[in-house]
Amino acid sequence: MDVRDLKKVVQIMNDNDLVEVEIEEEGKRLRLRKQEAAAPTMMAALPAAAPVAAAPAAPAAGGAPAAEAPADDTAGLHTITAPMVGTFYSAPSPDADAYAEVGTKVGPESVVCILEAMKVMNEIKAECSGEIVKVCVQNAEAVEYGQALYMVKPS
Amino acid sequence: MFQRILVANRGEIALRVLRAAREMDIDTVAVYSEADRDAAYLDLANEKICIGPGPSAQSYLSIPRIIAAAEVTDVDAIHPGYGFLSENAEFADTCRDHGIEFIGPDGETIRQLGDKATARDVTLAAKVPVVPGSEGLIEDEHHAVKVADGIGYPVLIKATAGGGGRGMRVASNKISLRAAFHQASQEAQQAFGEGGVYLEKYLERPRHVEIQILADSHGNVIHLGDRECSVQRRHQKLLEEAPSSALSDAMRRNMGRAAVRLAKSVNYKGAGTVEFLVCGKEFFFIEVNCRVQVEHPVSEQVSGVDIVKEQIRVAAGDKLNFDQKHVKFSGHSIELRINAEDPAKNFRPSPGLITEWRAPGGPGIRLDTHAYAGYRVPPTYDSLIAKLIVTADDRATCIQRVERALAEFHIGGIKTTLPIHAEIVKNAFFRKGDYDTGFVEEFFSV
Repeated sequence: MDVRDLKKVVQIMNDNDLVEVEIEEEGKRLRLRKQEAAAPTMMAALPAAAPVAAAPAAPAAGGAPAAEAPADDTAGLHTITAPMVGTFYSAPSPDADAYAEVGTKVGPESVVCILEAMKVMNEIKAECSGEIVKVCVQNAEAVEYGQALYMVKPS
Repeated sequence: MFQRILVANRGEIALRVLRAAREMDIDTVAVYSEADRDAAYLDLANEKICIGPGPSAQSYLSIPRIIAAAEVTDVDAIHPGYGFLSENAEFADTCRDHGIEFIGPDGETIRQLGDKATARDVTLAAKVPVVPGSEGLIEDEHHAVKVADGIGYPVLIKATAGGGGRGMRVASNKISLRAAFHQASQEAQQAFGEGGVYLEKYLERPRHVEIQILADSHGNVIHLGDRECSVQRRHQKLLEEAPSSALSDAMRRNMGRAAVRLAKSVNYKGAGTVEFLVCGKEFFFIEVNCRVQVEHPVSEQVSGVDIVKEQIRVAAGDKLNFDQKHVKFSGHSIELRINAEDPAKNFRPSPGLITEWRAPGGPGIRLDTHAYAGYRVPPTYDSLIAKLIVTADDRATCIQRVERALAEFHIGGIKTTLPIHAEIVKNAFFRKGDYDTGFVEEFFSV
């Protein structure tokens, strides 16, 4: 068996995803074994070669960092997230109607809720266009930065 | 005692505070930025709350975000750690204005001691030696020369609005002083918008020795001994030890008393550090740090006092339950700051995933760290990832133990300053305790 034959054997192995081949011919035996890809280690600490994560991108001006929101159940929905820490109020006052409920249509400038912190009532704008399909928090609930407030079906 | 405390910091010092509070059965709230979302230490807190994106200005340095978090979690007090807002008088005042105790001194005290001119006045009034210098700002070059003649050359011209080593010039005689005075004033005007300068004696290769103090709100002030912090690279401490080899017993006593006297004179409350420069047998006040410091563990190790717990107690109004005479010092302790930096590349930050973490253990080993295998060091903050604190009966044994601990310590995946520490403790001058603030530059050309 010469080099050309060896190359052919290797080609056959690759074409057919063979890991090991043993050939016996005229009293001579040849075994070719392909190096297997490293098995995944059991050590939780070692990752697959992952690139170093860049610092998380600052949210877009006005703060609706959808990238950090929990995964949407339904693809294509946009999440309005809290741009600050505060207490969520769904309406301008206890007796008034809620700013946004399921079905409410919003535009970029629509106020969707109030987040109160340090006695200041901050009006939070939708910053997107579409229809509210889910309200994620309850009135008077404490919310943290980045927490999902509403899910919106973009128009 | 407080029911719930918010920790307004991150990393190893946040973990330190969480540990102390947990041992005191106080509930905790940890704030975090998005860059710290996955940090394991957050799970030691009863509650954690995201306050903003990675950049400090929008998270750990943001007074509104932290106060908002404190409000929604209904805490009684905030521990500011070190750095960030820990010496921000406005933050201290804002906390208290919102009915939340700030674990530290009053805003007014922070202001007083933070301004270099008033701090100097207050210190002189307490009969604590300060670096010889001008009384107030220098009016013109004649005044400069007159003051310099009085204090002796070389002198340092410092911008009153400067800081962090900026706005300073050395002059070694009358002629260079005149020129330097004009240049410094101009630079100060341009850099800080305020051209005022003052003069200080330039101390050549001093040692940096500081005194840890603790004060309650009932007028009791004690000190917990000295720390030597002269191993510095570009004014950043690398290694600290307690006690200092620079001090005679008499100096130690006098410095301790001076620090306590100063603290009493400003009705200090909480933990603090009075920093001195030591030249031979003389010591000179430079500044007060109104917070718990990175290197507090070495003082804890030799005194047996838990400084963070005492901070919480005094902030809650408790009296210190020991006098100076009850404080007994024993043994020697050395802290190594392990930074995520590459010493071979000019200490360039080396953030990223820690793939291996084999920590030292055994007698006399304390490791204050929030890092572990699998932890990703974010690029957004300072590079301190661990403090290795080694304690033994005496300094020689302590150094031996440091070498042993360093041989065991392995961090993989990122570069760290571990190798530099091994070099430092091998150095003959370090081993003799004969070193000053010029040490790192002299021996390590870094």
